[in-house]
Amino acid sequence: MKGRKLRLVLLLGVSGLFLLAWIFPIFWSLLNAFKSEQDVLAYPPKLIFTPTLAAFDDVLFGPTSIVPNLVSSFIISIGTTIVTMVLAIPAAYALARLRVPGKKWSGFYVLATQMLPPVGIIIPYFLILRDIGWIDTYQGIILIYLSFSLPFAIWLLVSYFEDLPFEMEEAAFIDGASRMMTLWRIILPQVRGGVAVTVVFVFLNAWNEFLFAVVLSGNVVRPVTISMFNFVSVEQTLWSKLAAVSALAMLPVIILGIIAQKHIVKGLTVGAVKGGGRR
Amino acid sequence: MSKATTLGARGGSAASGRADPVRMMEGRERRFAAALMAPAFIALMATTTFPLLHLGWTSLHRMDLAMPFMDGFVGLDNYRELLGDPRFWSALGVSLVYTASTVILQVILGLALALLVNGMRRGQTLFRIVAILPVVLSPAVVGMVWRTFMLTPEFGVVDYLSMTAGLGSHNWLGDPSLALFSVVVIHTWQWTPFAFMVLLASLAALPEDIYEAARIDRASPWQSFVRITLPLLRPAIVMVIIMRTMVALTAFAAIFTVTGGGPGTATEILNLYAYRKSFTELSIGYGSALAVALLIFTLVVTGILFALRRAK
Repeated sequence: MKGRKLRLVLLLGVSGLFLLAWIFPIFWSLLNAFKSEQDVLAYPPKLIFTPTLAAFDDVLFGPTSIVPNLVSSFIISIGTTIVTMVLAIPAAYALARLRVPGKKWSGFYVLATQMLPPVGIIIPYFLILRDIGWIDTYQGIILIYLSFSLPFAIWLLVSYFEDLPFEMEEAAFIDGASRMMTLWRIILPQVRGGVAVTVVFVFLNAWNEFLFAVVLSGNVVRPVTISMFNFVSVEQTLWSKLAAVSALAMLPVIILGIIAQKHIVKGLTVGAVKGGGRR
Repeated sequence: MSKATTLGARGGSAASGRADPVRMMEGRERRFAAALMAPAFIALMATTTFPLLHLGWTSLHRMDLAMPFMDGFVGLDNYRELLGDPRFWSALGVSLVYTASTVILQVILGLALALLVNGMRRGQTLFRIVAILPVVLSPAVVGMVWRTFMLTPEFGVVDYLSMTAGLGSHNWLGDPSLALFSVVVIHTWQWTPFAFMVLLASLAALPEDIYEAARIDRASPWQSFVRITLPLLRPAIVMVIIMRTMVALTAFAAIFTVTGGGPGTATEILNLYAYRKSFTELSIGYGSALAVALLIFTLVVTGILFALRRAK
């Protein structure tokens, strides 16, 4: 009896410690966003303070407003998501459910493109986009984002399409529906959930991307992850404003992450866990 | 891919004669499939394969944005220079240490935590939600938060804890010997939840009756872990290792925001060196050769891992 109690206390202690370790850095930076500059700098660190929205007010409505950066991030992420889905859904449907010439190789190709180091892609891209004048443009950045979002989306969607029973299409064909109609009216509604999860992931990845954005951003296209640097320099750090910007950059992905909570493991592994994966 | 039931596979078995309607349908299906795939594959080639070829070509050139008049074809000179470049070898070493240590830590911590949570009757959802947070956050933002609010000397929480514990204040990111350790910790912090979630999902899917049988045979918890859990989890563990290795090898944003590769070259992984060479020192030709080296390195490492995965 005593041993069991000790084990329970130990279990709670260890798991509590892990929870704290994970949540604390996020919690702390969010908390700092509601502090005044003096409270952020207080030593020892302050847990109890009078909350203020001054930092948010500054970064949103002040002279160095990050609203354009947030808009940039949204345009890039939504644009990437739309283009990716329009291209990926038909391709994934064909790969999963139709007889495709060179199917195995096509699948392998999609997988292989996912392994490329981004730094290798950005160098030639930079040269090409510079030559056609697409640095600091939305079309340039959305195009390069396809290099990672497209293989990911195709792969994830294939795993959802494969789960559908074959009879579904068969029945539609017998009723004389065309293939396009079958895809649009019969199949797509069945994989709504999978499409939604894919949308969430493509959006998240585009929102979080950094390397391409650093190289290709300028005055017009400057996502919020890049604009953080405005608040940190060698001379001084604007602590509470930096915390507010981080909070705003975190907010959309945290909301999406919690909404998609149940599906996230599948999205992260793309069916890799079940019995050691495809291929 | 193998378990996909294709329309063609069914129709194909009956196909024989020339004017066979089944075969005609098959041909139409192929064309339809090709039409559905074409736009995505053209986009993929344009955004991945073509740049890669371009990269290979650029790596055979001298190309300096600062001195364009010197540009020209130099053959394998960049690669020859690379082999004698101590900074390249140092970056390769840092990449290896960074990748190996973060992957090992993630798997061990993730597995331990998955076992812990799997045994819980309540509170699993709380862990799942908390675990998702680091994973969905931008590595750039994570890096910035750690660099400022956690690690700044005499201000950050980690430093405060270190002082309170009597370990003294440290320049966590400015001290070359501590900087690599710090970026490893940050990467591990962000991605252990990934290993945890995948391994927890696999644990939950293990058949209960094997453990029942083991209990009847009076196997100790440790025995059933080593003899049952580990072998059954092996595919998932190997998959986690492969995926995490690929991501660690291409890690960029967090190190870039936290240390920028510094102090000196203490945290300069191969990625960062290729970036700095190309876009800070504007030596694109040599940077391309570095990126090709990184690509080869990635292929070799993933090749080894996939080979290990097949070997039992």
